Amino acid sequence: MISIVDYGLGNLKAFANIYKRLNINAEFVKTSEQLNSAQKIILPGVGAFDHAMEELNKSGMREKLDELVLVKKVPVIGICVGMQMLGKRSDEGKLDGLGWVDADIIKFDTNLIKQKPRLPHMGWNDVHPIGNNPLFQDLETNSIFYFLHSYYFSCKNPEDAIAKSEYGLEFTCAVNHENIYGVQFHPEKSHQYGIQLLKNFANL
Amino acid sequence: MSVKYRVCNNCIMDTTDPEIKFDDKGVCDHCNNFYSNILPNWKPGPEGENELMKIVAKIKEEGKDKDYDCLMGISGGVDSSYMAYLAKVKLGLRPLIFHIDAGWNSQQAVNNIERIIDSLNLDLHTEVINWEEMKDLQAAFFKAQVCHVDTPQDHAFQAAMWNFAAKNGFKYILNGGNISSECVREPLEWHYHASDLRQINDIHAKFGTRPLKSFPLASIFKYRIYYKYVKGISVIKPLDYIPFEKEKAMQFLEKEFGWQRYAQKHYESRFTRFYEGYWMPKKFGFDIRLAHYSSLILTNQMSREEALKKVSVLPYDEEAIKEDFEYVATKLGFTVEEFKEIMNGNNKTYRDYKNSMGFIEMGMKVMRFIGGERKLIR
Amino acid sequence: MLRPRIIPCLLIKDNGLVKTVQFKDHKYVGDPINAVKIFNEKEVDEIIIVDIDATVYNREPDYKLIEALAAECRMPLCYGGGVKTVEQAQKIFSLGVEKVSISSEAVLNPNLLTEIGNRVGSQSIVVVLDVKKSKSGNYEIWTHKATKNTGKDPVEFAKEVERLGAGEVVINSIDADGMMKGYDMELIDKIRNAINLPLTVLGGAGTLKDIGSLISKYKVVGAAAGSLFVFKGVFKAVLINYPKPSEKAALLSENL
Repeated sequence: MISIVDYGLGNLKAFANIYKRLNINAEFVKTSEQLNSAQKIILPGVGAFDHAMEELNKSGMREKLDELVLVKKVPVIGICVGMQMLGKRSDEGKLDGLGWVDADIIKFDTNLIKQKPRLPHMGWNDVHPIGNNPLFQDLETNSIFYFLHSYYFSCKNPEDAIAKSEYGLEFTCAVNHENIYGVQFHPEKSHQYGIQLLKNFANL
Repeated sequence: MSVKYRVCNNCIMDTTDPEIKFDDKGVCDHCNNFYSNILPNWKPGPEGENELMKIVAKIKEEGKDKDYDCLMGISGGVDSSYMAYLAKVKLGLRPLIFHIDAGWNSQQAVNNIERIIDSLNLDLHTEVINWEEMKDLQAAFFKAQVCHVDTPQDHAFQAAMWNFAAKNGFKYILNGGNISSECVREPLEWHYHASDLRQINDIHAKFGTRPLKSFPLASIFKYRIYYKYVKGISVIKPLDYIPFEKEKAMQFLEKEFGWQRYAQKHYESRFTRFYEGYWMPKKFGFDIRLAHYSSLILTNQMSREEALKKVSVLPYDEEAIKEDFEYVATKLGFTVEEFKEIMNGNNKTYRDYKNSMGFIEMGMKVMRFIGGERKLIR
Repeated sequence: MLRPRIIPCLLIKDNGLVKTVQFKDHKYVGDPINAVKIFNEKEVDEIIIVDIDATVYNREPDYKLIEALAAECRMPLCYGGGVKTVEQAQKIFSLGVEKVSISSEAVLNPNLLTEIGNRVGSQSIVVVLDVKKSKSGNYEIWTHKATKNTGKDPVEFAKEVERLGAGEVVINSIDADGMMKGYDMELIDKIRNAINLPLTVLGGAGTLKDIGSLISKYKVVGAAAGSLFVFKGVFKAVLINYPKPSEKAALLSENL
C-alpha cells in the first residue's frame, strides 16, 4: 500500500490516478494513525519551503513520519518541495527541514542562466541517472521529466546523488540515502517516464 | 424451445445464429451462399484488376472537371488506410477523404489518419458528431437492452457520408469493405440493420433524454433508393478487385507510413472492443469472431483448426475488461453499478421495438433478384 | 537542456470543445475528455483548458468536468474560466490540476493573485491577458470574452501582475486568434522585455514553423496553440494532432 501524505500541498490526485491505472493500491493519509500501516510513503510538495514545513509540522504526522522513516526505515520519496524538505535547511526559508538527508537547498544562481525567464526552472529537462539505482530502472537513457522549482538540492555526501540535470549548472535532481528517496521533478506529471519511476518506487 | 448445438463442418458458424441451416454434408448456408453466389463473381486478380481499372476510368472521366473525383471514408483502420493508398497511388484517383468523429477516436486512429493524409498529400473533411447527442443515443441503446448497441455509430457513419456526398455532388463513394474478411455477415440477431431509422427513433423516444438536433440521420429509403437511384451515387469497393490480405496490408502501412498497429484487436475503438468482446458474448452469447474467422476460412486466410482454437479462448481478458467496463460506463454517463444492472437486465431484440424489417426484407428480395446483393443477410 | 514548452489550448463551451476565430464564430470540435485523452497519449508537454463561458455567465467552474479532465493528464494541466475566489482555486487544485489561470478576475480583483499565491505558491497561478490592438495601434487588455475593453496597457499590467505574485503570464492575441497566420511577435516582444516571469504565447500559430520562429527568438517560452493542434488541412477538418517526437526534436535542434 502506497501512502500519500496529505498535509495540504501537492497534486495528490495525480499520484492516485497513476497508481490506480497501474493496479497498485494507494491511499491518502491525513493522520498519524493512518500512517501506521504505511509500507511506502510519498511526500508531495509544492510552493514555498517554509510554508510546506509549517503545514507538515502542524499536520500531526511529523513525529510518526520521523519514526517510520528514521527508525522503521520505511521507504519514502519526497517530490519537488517534498524532496527539498528532506534536507536540513533552505536558502528559501528560515525553518529547519526534516533533516533526513544531509543537504542544503540552494537558490539557482541566475547569473549562470542565459535567457529569461531564468527562474523558476520550469519545463521538461533531461535527467541523467547515476549508478544503477532501482528507482531509475528502465530509465537510463533519454529520460525527461517536468520541473518547476527555483532552488536545488545540494548533498553533503556525493554518493546520495542518484541523478543529475542541468540548468545553468549541473545539479542533483534525485537522491537516495538508505530508505529515503527524493526527486526534484514531478513524476506524476511526466508521462511514461514518471509512470515508470513511480512504478519502480512501488516495486522497491 | 432450445436448439441443439451444432457447428458447420466447413466454417465455424454455429447455432447461435438462430437462422442457420445445414445441408446434408453438415455445411451451413453461409458457406453455400459464398460458394454459389459470391465466389463465382469475386475475381481478386488480373481479371478483377481489369474490371477495377474500367470503373476507375469512368470515375476519372466523370470527375475530370471537379476538384475531387470521388469521396472516401477513413477511420484509421487498416482497410480504409490501405484503400487511401490504393486509390491515390495505384489507381491515380483524386479522392476527398472523409472522417466522422463519433467521440470514440483513439490516439492510434487519429495518428493513422494524419499519417495517411500527410504522406499521400490528401485533403480531409471531418464531421464531428455532437458528443452529447451521440452519448445520449448510445446510452439509450444500452438501456434498451438490445444487442446492436453499435447502431448509433454505424448509422451516423453511413448517414453522414451519404448526406455529404449528396450535398456536394459526389457520384462515387469508395468503401473499404471487402469480401476477403467480411463475406460471412453477422446474422441479424447479432447485428441488426443500423440503417433502420424507425428502430433508432423508437429506442430514442423510449430511452433518450435529449433531442437529436444535429445527429446525422438517413432513412433506408433515402440512401438505398433516393441517393442511389435518384442522385446516382455508387459505392465502389476497390479492395474486392485486388488480392487483399489484412496482415500484409498492415505491415506495408507500418513500414511505408508510420501507421500504428493497434495494441490489440479492435483497439482502434475501445467501444468496439467492449461491444464485440464483452457485451455481445457475455450478455447475449453471440461471438462475432465466429463470423469474422469464418470469412477468413472461406477466403483461405485461416484454417478451421486455427479458428476453433482462437474462439476457444474468451474474447475478453478478465483483468482488462474491468477497466474497459468502467471506461465505457463512465464515458456514457453511467455509474459502474448502473451499467452492471444493464448488463444483467433482460435481453431484448430488434423486434421489441418499432422497426422496418418487413420493408427491408422486401427490398432485399428485390435486390437479390436483380443481382444487386450477394451476401446472405438474415 | 531545458526545452521550450509546446502547449495545446482547448476551449470549452456548454461541455463541448469549440474553436473560435478572433473570439467569435464558435465551431464545435468534439468531446473534451476524449480530446484530452488523445493529447495525453501523444505526450504533449502541457495543456491549457479554458471554460470560455463561466465568467461571462457568472457560473461556477464545472468541477466534475475538471476532475474528469485532470484524470486523463499525465502532464501539467492549467485550468481557467470563472475563477474568482481562493476557495474555487483550491478546490480546482485538489482535483488534480497543476495551475489555475485567471483572466478577467485578474483585472477586476488583482489581490486574488496574492491571496492564491499565499495559499499554494505563486508557481500555480497563471494570468491570461486577452489583448487586442486598438484603432490607433495601441495594445489593450479586454475581458469577458473580448466584450469589455479595460483600456489597460498589457505591458504595464504584466509588470503589475508580476509584482503581485503571478507565476506565469499567458499573452493571448484576440486579433490573431484562429487566424493561423503567425504569432503577434511585436506584442510578445513588448511583454518579454518588460517582465522576468515565464511567458506563454497564444493566438495565431498556423504551422510548426510559427512555433519554430517563436522558439528561435525566445528560447525558453511556452508556445500555445488551439487551431493548429485541432485542425488539419485546407478545410480545417477536425483532427487532433501534435508534433511527433522526431518533429519536436527537429524543431528544437533547428531553433535552439
